[in-house]
Amino acid sequence: MENLLEKIITEPLKDFLQRLAHFLPNFLSALIVFLIGLLFAWVVKAVILRLFKLLRLDALSARSGFTEALKKMSVKDPPEKLMGRFFYWLTVIIFFIVSLYLLELPAIEQLLEKLLLYLPNVLVAVVILVVGFLLANFLGRTALIASVNAGIGFAGFLYRTIKIIVVLLAFVMALEQLGIARSTVVTAFTIVFGGLVFALSLAFGLGGRGIARRYLEKRFKVNDEDENNEIRHI
Amino acid sequence: MDRQEVAEKISTMGEVDILVGIPSYNSAKTIAHVVKAVEAGLFKYFPHCKSLLVNSDGGSTDGTMEAVRDTTVDLESILIDRKADQFRKFVTPYHGIPGKGSAFRTIFEIARDLNVKACAVVDSDLRSITPEWIELLIKPVLEDHYDYVSPYYMRHKYDGTITNSIVYPLTRALYGKRIRQPIGGDFGFSGRLASFYLTKDVWETDVARFGIDIWMTTTAVANGFRICQAFLGAKIHDAKDPGSDLSAMLHQVVSSVFNLMEEYAGVWRDISKSEPVRTFGFAYSVGLEPIHVNLNNMIEKFRMGIRDLDVLYRAFLPEPLLESLHRLAEAPKNRFLYPDRDWVRTVFYFALACHRRVMSTEHIIKSLTPLYLGKVSSFVIETWDSTADEVEQRLEELCLAFEKAKPEWIELWDERQ
Repeated sequence: MENLLEKIITEPLKDFLQRLAHFLPNFLSALIVFLIGLLFAWVVKAVILRLFKLLRLDALSARSGFTEALKKMSVKDPPEKLMGRFFYWLTVIIFFIVSLYLLELPAIEQLLEKLLLYLPNVLVAVVILVVGFLLANFLGRTALIASVNAGIGFAGFLYRTIKIIVVLLAFVMALEQLGIARSTVVTAFTIVFGGLVFALSLAFGLGGRGIARRYLEKRFKVNDEDENNEIRHI
Repeated sequence: MDRQEVAEKISTMGEVDILVGIPSYNSAKTIAHVVKAVEAGLFKYFPHCKSLLVNSDGGSTDGTMEAVRDTTVDLESILIDRKADQFRKFVTPYHGIPGKGSAFRTIFEIARDLNVKACAVVDSDLRSITPEWIELLIKPVLEDHYDYVSPYYMRHKYDGTITNSIVYPLTRALYGKRIRQPIGGDFGFSGRLASFYLTKDVWETDVARFGIDIWMTTTAVANGFRICQAFLGAKIHDAKDPGSDLSAMLHQVVSSVFNLMEEYAGVWRDISKSEPVRTFGFAYSVGLEPIHVNLNNMIEKFRMGIRDLDVLYRAFLPEPLLESLHRLAEAPKNRFLYPDRDWVRTVFYFALACHRRVMSTEHIIKSLTPLYLGKVSSFVIETWDSTADEVEQRLEELCLAFEKAKPEWIELWDERQ
């Protein structure tokens, strides 16, 4: 009976207390590191905010059309504030991971290793998305202005289409980088994009033959009229 | 011929009184006439001066340089005596970025090295140049000690609409001198000014490519050099680049003006009104034969711009101005009137957008094209039956509107974004 009690209660309790004695110091150091991390994150945020203010990130972002793109996605905060927040959370996450390592729990260690290996992909995906948005805005604007100045009637449609295609392309590339349903995403994009071009070709070539003809006729006629315009601008 | 070789050749020439530069690129068809006019002008009006014609060529492949070397003028047939042969020609390719500015740089360098008293530059594609142009561009420098002679051509009321609606009123309001054609292309200037131009670090920028004309005028005005105008009559020249589109042209001209506005903000802030500059030459009017103007097409492009570019305009044009432009877009052709006040504000807010770098400068300025066409259309409708003098009077009103609005600009320009 005594043996049984020792096996069922005393030994596990001893074992638990031993483990707890081993875990508690780790937990305390993890907690302290995490609290230091929180403090450090505030400092990092303040430094980053000051740095980007000096670099006039908000003005740069407004100029490139990135702020406009953010507003369209209902992101109201200016990029300087967003960057401050991003680096704050990045520091918090890094310190959180370090704290978890300090706990010395094998299951968590394995999970963290996988997470750490995956993190660069997330960063690259974010960069791809940001560059994609900037490029979409720049190319969209270029096409819009050029087509309005050339007197092309569907300039607005061209602007939106180019922006959507470039953003979509960036989104697909980001998803591919993250490894999310890689083959499905690429295949879906190929099918959708190819289908879109095919549908447009059919619509314009068959359904819109008249429109195409009228459009081309008008274009050539406009060009003739332009040549007849004897105003000298310079 | 590299810079060193040019300098060596130049050093053997001694001092020269007058230098006339002709920048060129593939102008074999037209340059001979220009060379003849220059040579005749120098012999006729400056027979006792040592003069040099410099052709600064951008690597022509059509025999332009050979045409300059081989061309001589029959002075007897134009009743000019060849008294003392003090005239020489120097043909050299220029170095640096391809463009008129780089060609001018070579001309300025030669003028400085030869300690030239007076210089002139004339385009190589001119068909209407006469020997009198050389007199009019050089004499004010040699005899009246002016540093810069701006050309004043007599043009049709619908020629030079970018100059009339933007460049002239804006430069006049900014720098306070009524220089009627600041981007004329043919100028006279002193050797002192040529040396001053060379001290400026602009020869690797757009000035070297396409903005040299307005840069020369503005630099001379903003730095307090003595300015005058010379009436040269009509300017007839070959179309520069039939393929180049309006928005590219507008971008080249307007970006040059806006860049200079940025550089000389400290100068124009303190200037409150404009004054006329002395004009030499015998002025006359040209006939106003009716020309074909495609108003419908220009107004349609204005409407398209207001509809489709609204998304960009909202980033830098104020709401009341946008509302006014939208109302104009809906107006029928017979009531299509772009008020001067709105146009002045349009031009200024575009300049401000470039100053504040709201987006790429090229995008900002190219998006001005439809609004510019709107203003031109309105101007054509207003002045269709007007005489040349009435049109000048109308332009004067526009210039005064620019000048009146200037205090408001200064305030906005200095305001932090």
